[in-house]
Formats: sequence, C-alpha cells, structure tokens
Amino acid sequence: MLRTLLALTALLSVSQGASAYLDPGTGSMILQGVIAAIAVVGFTIKSYWYKIRSFFGKGGSASLLDDDEDEQRSD
Amino acid sequence: MDTLSSSFRDPSGFVFLHDKIVHRQVNNSFAASYDAFISSGLYDKLVERKLLVAHEEITDGSVAGTRDCYRILKPQQIPFISYPYEWSFSQLKDAAMLTLKVQHEAIRHGFILKDASAYNVQFLDSRPVFIDTLSFDTYTPGTPWVAYKQFCQHFLAPLALMAHTDVELSKLMISHIDGVPLPLASKLLPFKTRFNYAIATHIHLHSRMQQQHADNALDDTPATSKHSSLSEQSLKALMEALAKAVQKLTWKMPDTEWGDYYENTNYSDRAGEEKRDLVDRLLGSIPDQLTVVQDFGANTGEFSRIAAKHSALVVSQDIDPVAVEMNYRKSAADGPVNILPLIQDFSSPSPAIGWGNAERDSFLQRSHCDALLVLALVHHLAISNNVPLSNIAALFASLTQWLVIEFVPKEDSQVIRLLATREDIFPDYTRDGFEAAFRQNFTIEDSSPVAESERTLYLMKTRT
Repeated sequence: MLRTLLALTALLSVSQGASAYLDPGTGSMILQGVIAAIAVVGFTIKSYWYKIRSFFGKGGSASLLDDDEDEQRSD
Repeated sequence: MDTLSSSFRDPSGFVFLHDKIVHRQVNNSFAASYDAFISSGLYDKLVERKLLVAHEEITDGSVAGTRDCYRILKPQQIPFISYPYEWSFSQLKDAAMLTLKVQHEAIRHGFILKDASAYNVQFLDSRPVFIDTLSFDTYTPGTPWVAYKQFCQHFLAPLALMAHTDVELSKLMISHIDGVPLPLASKLLPFKTRFNYAIATHIHLHSRMQQQHADNALDDTPATSKHSSLSEQSLKALMEALAKAVQKLTWKMPDTEWGDYYENTNYSDRAGEEKRDLVDRLLGSIPDQLTVVQDFGANTGEFSRIAAKHSALVVSQDIDPVAVEMNYRKSAADGPVNILPLIQDFSSPSPAIGWGNAERDSFLQRSHCDALLVLALVHHLAISNNVPLSNIAALFASLTQWLVIEFVPKEDSQVIRLLATREDIFPDYTRDGFEAAFRQNFTIEDSSPVAESERTLYLMKTRT
C-alpha cells in the first residue's frame, strides 16, 4: 500500500502542473523527449559558443527568443 | 454574470463582461499560482517586453465575481477580436513566435504555459500580444510541456501547410477549433517535407507517434516512464528548436489576380491622388468620433491608411491572402499601427464555431463599427455574387452608422470584364437603381464623381 502510494506520488510529481487542464497526448510526450534530447546537444554547444563570444566583447544571444529590436519599436 | 461563451475550459478562471468591458476572474483554486506569477516579476517582465496585455486589479468592489472569486482583473481591452483563420501567413507566424517568447520568459521565471492555443493571441497596434493572463503554471523542472501537441496543431501545422501546400489552408482552422490535426496535416503536406527535419519531426513523426500511442496512458512501464520527464535544459532546447522551425517557414507569394490590381484599374496618378483626397474629405466630414472603421475589399490597404488618420482603429479586410500579407508587413514595419489587416470573404464571412456555435463569434457579430469603407467592391457583390443591391444595403446598415461607398457602373472597365462572359441580368444595376436601393436604409449626405472614371463616391448615414 505504501509502495503504491509512493509510486503514485512519484508519477504525479513528474506529470502535469497543478492547474494544467489539457490532455497532452502520450505520443506527444514521448516524441518531445526524443526531439529535446537531440536539440539539447546543439543548443548547449551554441550557448557555450555565445559565452565565448561575449567574453571577447561580442554581443548576441544563443536564444532566438530573447529581447530583440522588434520589441524596441516605439509606437 | 455575462460570462463570455468562449471562456469555460480552464478551471483557473474565466472572462466576463461588466458594463461592456472585458474582465477576468481569478478563481480561488488558482490564487497561489496567480500571486506567484505577480511576485516573481514575470508579469512585469512580460508587460515590459510588450508580450502580454497589462491589467489592473479591481479591489474597490465595483465589479462582483462569483463565490469562487479570488481576484477581478481588468485587462487592456482589445478593440477588435480576430481569429487565426482570418490571419495572413506572417500574422500567424508572428503569433507563433510570440507564444514561444512568452514561454521562454516564463521558464526563466520558473513558470510554464498551460496551453499554446492561437486563441491566446490577439493583435494590438500591428503586433501580436498574449491575452491569457492565467495561462502560467508553476514549472517543476523535470516535467514535460503539456501544450507541445497543441502548439504543433495551432501553429506549426497550419504554417507548414500555408508555406508548402496552399496558403488557403489556414481556413482548416474554421472546421478544426483545436488546430489542424497532425495526421491530416501530414497527409496534405508534400512528400519533400519529409526531408525537412523540423516538419518531419514535429508533424510527420508526431502524427505517427500520436496514432501509435493513442490507446496508451503514460504509466509506470519501462517503455514510457523514462519519457515522462524532461530536464529544464532540454525543455529550453525544445523551445529553441520550435522557434527555429517557425522562423524557417516562409511563404513564397504567388501572383494572384490582384497582383497588378493598381496597374489595371481606371486611374492615372492624378486621378488616384484625387480619389485619395476625396475619401479623406468624406471621412473627415463625418461629425461623429470614429473608434472603429471597417474597410471591406481593402486590398493592400491604400485607403485604410487614409481612414487611419480619422479613426482609432481601421480593420482592413480583403479576400486575397497576398494583399492582406502585404498590408500587414507594411503596417508592422512602417505603420500606421492602427490598422488591422485580416483575410475575409465578405460574401461568406467567418461563421460562429465551437461549443454551442458560440465559442468563437462570427465575423458579423464582431463587426459593428462607426463607419464602413466600401470602395471598388459593390460590383463584386452585386454582379459576381448576384446579391441584390437592397440586400447589400440592408447588411451594411445593420453594421454601421456611416458608409463611404463607391458605385462602379457598367461602363467601368472592371464591370465590363465581369460581364464579358455572362448574361447581363442586372437591369437595376444603374446609378439610379443603386441610389434607390440604398435610400431604403440610408440618407445620402454627399456624393462626388471620381476623377477620370465613371464611378461615384457617396457618404451615407444609416437611417435610425
């Protein structure tokens, strides 16, 4: 009984957030892990590369999603 | 309580109208998450980056909530609601990038998006903005993203279809309220997309995985349990991969029949200048303040830009996705920002869809405006679409207070072209017939011939 409870808690603690309401889809969850595992290699290398760049005073970000000039457009 | 008929899926709260103003109730169940969202600085950062609508909390008791109410928020209002199936390619692409930027910022602050619906995005001042303030869940490192599939259905699939198959396929979202199903997208995309890493993984392979595991729940079996966790670094890498996938999707605009529109019409440069001045004068003469002006058949928005000087917002609509795309790119880059270009077929505008046919309002339900601009359009409705002039007048009158409309007679080269291959069954399609039909619903305040053409421009006021 205690083992089952522990297993359930473990499962719940690595599944959805407190107020998530969507059905994520099993296939999607699995695929996500696979794609991310491949992506993280390239992204980690890219991040270190940008760290080296900034050490030499060059700007820019490894991420496509950081603040950029689009957002600085004054309305 | 006047709850919006689209706001019921998320138990964290809901959206309602109070005195015609949109408010959002935060439910007690979401109290801790909401407080954390604010205190973490994520709200401030998103508003500072102009990624999320700002809101004020209503604490003076002037707006009542339900028993479950934790807080009432009054967000920045969106003057015209539009839906993803009305957006041009770049509008949908910008909305996708916005969603990923919001997610990126959220993860930085220890939060994650609960959903990735295109309906969380609206357009304000020619740029997309996130409107669902309650979409942020606390992030526990190790948990995968529950909204990944939804992101693919709402954004990647329609964008890929628009870029690689046909731009018209964004309309699939009318019949599929939760985005384009991946198996369908996979079938419709050309074979060559299987060699595109992003599309092959996020769409083709994704579709297969979905179908293969349709009957499996994630459980404790060795096969699936190791996939139910995703490190924070991996999650961030996934967001970058999605961002790159979205960025690389480009649409090559074809030549449509409207491509050389302004070359093949009836105006010389001087006449074009005079028509612009005329429209400017007629709009300027309207005594009421204009908050929303709708421009139907706006093409690339040449006259919308004139209307933009007179109105807080101009909704600039056309049936041609190329024209709307050009209009959006121009207003996003050079302004004016108070123009909202949308794809709309006025002869069959967006219907009401979803639960109870009330989750997403029809185009006409959203379209009440102060003034309507109908230039170079009425002949398409009356002749190409066989709609009687009095029906056209009645529909316009139901939407607006003021009407600036151009009558295009049979002598005009555009109408000659329309009648070239068919029987002329329009005996009442004359200037007198037009005025008689419109006088049933409007008073004609002003009229003027359009230089170097046989056309007439009118300013009309709706009869009360």
